[in-house]
Amino acid sequence: MPLPEPPKVAAVEVIAAQPTETDRAAVAHMGATEPKAVYVVKVKLKAKPPVTSMAWALYVNDELVSKYWEYADGIYFTVSDPQFFTRHRGKQLRFSQNGTDFFDTGVKLAPAPSVVENGAIGLPLQADVLK
Amino acid sequence: MTVAQETRELRNPGLPGGEEFDTLIYGSPPLAYPAALSQYVIYNAPDPAYITGRINVSAFANLGAATPWPFTNTNVPLNGHICIPRGRGPFPLAVFAHGNHSPFENSTPGYLYLCQLLASHGIIAATIDVNFLNGSNFGENDARAIVHLEHLKQFRNWNNTSGHPLHGKVDLNRILIVGHSRGGEAVGHASFFNRLAAIGPVVLDGSAGLGPYRFGLSAAAAIAPTDRQFVPATGPTVVPDSYFIIHGSKDSDVFTFEGYHTYERAHAVDLANPTVSDGKFKAMLWVHKANHNQFNSVWAPETAPGVAMPRPSQEQIAKVHLGALALAVLLDRHEYFAVLHDHAVATAWDPAGTELVSQYQDPQRIFVQHNQEGLGPLVVSLPVQGTIAADGVVATRQLTALVGGAATTTITARLAWNAAGSRLLLQVDPATLPAERYKVLALRVGQSNEAANTANRDQDFTLEVSSGSRTAVFPASSLHRLLFPDPPPFGPAKIVMQTLRLPVARLVECGVDPSDLRAIALVFDRRQTGVVYTGDLQFTN
Repeated sequence: MPLPEPPKVAAVEVIAAQPTETDRAAVAHMGATEPKAVYVVKVKLKAKPPVTSMAWALYVNDELVSKYWEYADGIYFTVSDPQFFTRHRGKQLRFSQNGTDFFDTGVKLAPAPSVVENGAIGLPLQADVLK
Repeated sequence: MTVAQETRELRNPGLPGGEEFDTLIYGSPPLAYPAALSQYVIYNAPDPAYITGRINVSAFANLGAATPWPFTNTNVPLNGHICIPRGRGPFPLAVFAHGNHSPFENSTPGYLYLCQLLASHGIIAATIDVNFLNGSNFGENDARAIVHLEHLKQFRNWNNTSGHPLHGKVDLNRILIVGHSRGGEAVGHASFFNRLAAIGPVVLDGSAGLGPYRFGLSAAAAIAPTDRQFVPATGPTVVPDSYFIIHGSKDSDVFTFEGYHTYERAHAVDLANPTVSDGKFKAMLWVHKANHNQFNSVWAPETAPGVAMPRPSQEQIAKVHLGALALAVLLDRHEYFAVLHDHAVATAWDPAGTELVSQYQDPQRIFVQHNQEGLGPLVVSLPVQGTIAADGVVATRQLTALVGGAATTTITARLAWNAAGSRLLLQVDPATLPAERYKVLALRVGQSNEAANTANRDQDFTLEVSSGSRTAVFPASSLHRLLFPDPPPFGPAKIVMQTLRLPVARLVECGVDPSDLRAIALVFDRRQTGVVYTGDLQFTN
């Protein structure tokens, strides 16, 4: 049998959304100031891989995305620190199953949309972004 | 006592016991499951005494937005199936958790065959619903661990509730947690979290709903687990409780033997205090021809027809070996540790012709050689003092993972020879090795599929143990088979070492004085060429 192939990425979209209570608690625990927004990074896949226990870990450049979740068209993760987008501006999204062998997706991280001061009030809920 | 004698005196732990039991459902109704999730409607009609609350796992996980769950991550249900022995109890508790799979198929009932077995032996056994964490998700195994612990808390609440059918019936100091696949990784995290007061911002004292835990976990058992999909801030989880792992060579989901890394990290030698033990054991069973999904009775096999052993055979192996574990650690049937020490004890109970590899590390042990000092030449490990000499053997230490997958942190020794009679000789100062305090000389060793080993032929060598002028000689094959690696579904073959256990009593019978033990040699005189890998050599119980 051939080795499983990594998912193929169709597009990446970054959407600013309102932080949840959990986001605020996590950020406060890190000693950072309350975020104006949480960025939902939607990774649209050409086809979702079968649901298995082995997983394709997602990296942006060399930084592991520690958790991601499924939505209708692919997978998504959230980022509360806007510096993440500065650090990885123009960098590849990559998949790996063992942290050693990496597969470039050919798709780069999109920039974060700007969020105006006190803009969270006008931002969508994360749940709505994923519908 | 010989393996044959031990087998005759034990009853097959995979056969039902004599206890009658009832099976019922617990759950958190009402939940408006849509038609696509109709398999979960059963949890809307739990036994009236077994209605549960909801928990908030939002600090750990989101729910897949592609599955129309009728709840959010702030109020997930505690659903499950329980098999409860009749009688007064208190009974030990075993709780099973599934792994990742399509959330549109309820994975929970897939371990009822094991719950029913354990209940028939007098153990309350449950299998829990963690399906809401399933899907194309990653990194959620901390949430799986929290859900597992919250189910244990539910049992504690019932045990402590006057008038409840389980009041006073659950022995909270005898608990076995079992997980399959990602649920298998999660039992390791649960073992770790069980001792914590907080995880990051989440306080586990009950004030925010989660915890407190601090259960008396007798062991954590992992069936074909993943490893390090979730990594705590403190680094990869080191399972603090006794640990058991079972994995199949034809696993085409977790196709690298991920749990091997969990196993190696658990109860490893502390280089600063090499004689100190944390008092826990670990045991491993590697099953040739077993696949991933057939450990769950409702999951379709992931392998093509004919690749893996038949499902009934795989379930039989799970029943025999998890049954032995449960009887040993939950019911004080210590004689069943013999199955963990050496899978050959279970030969008559396993399907005919099954090929297995097993490892066992007892809490009582002193390492003669553990290889963890570094990648330099092989040395006798402190506090034992001595020398190692290779004659015709190329002996090197290496950090390559023997089982594929991610990098390992455990060093093994590679021993290669090209002429019969080559030997590796460990000479020790008997004043530094109290071998007479232990019952067994144990060596972890396994062969690879490198060209020097003949395909599909057992490897073999001679073990020589000497005190003064007396030397005892044992073919490795008289202790156990050293199987040629089973071809894997993907990637390189796994080298899984077998623990060879030589009773000290047999040394004494041969005139070797364990209080004056001076040399141990691996003599490669039974095959012209070969390559074996060794993990550690220890005196143990």
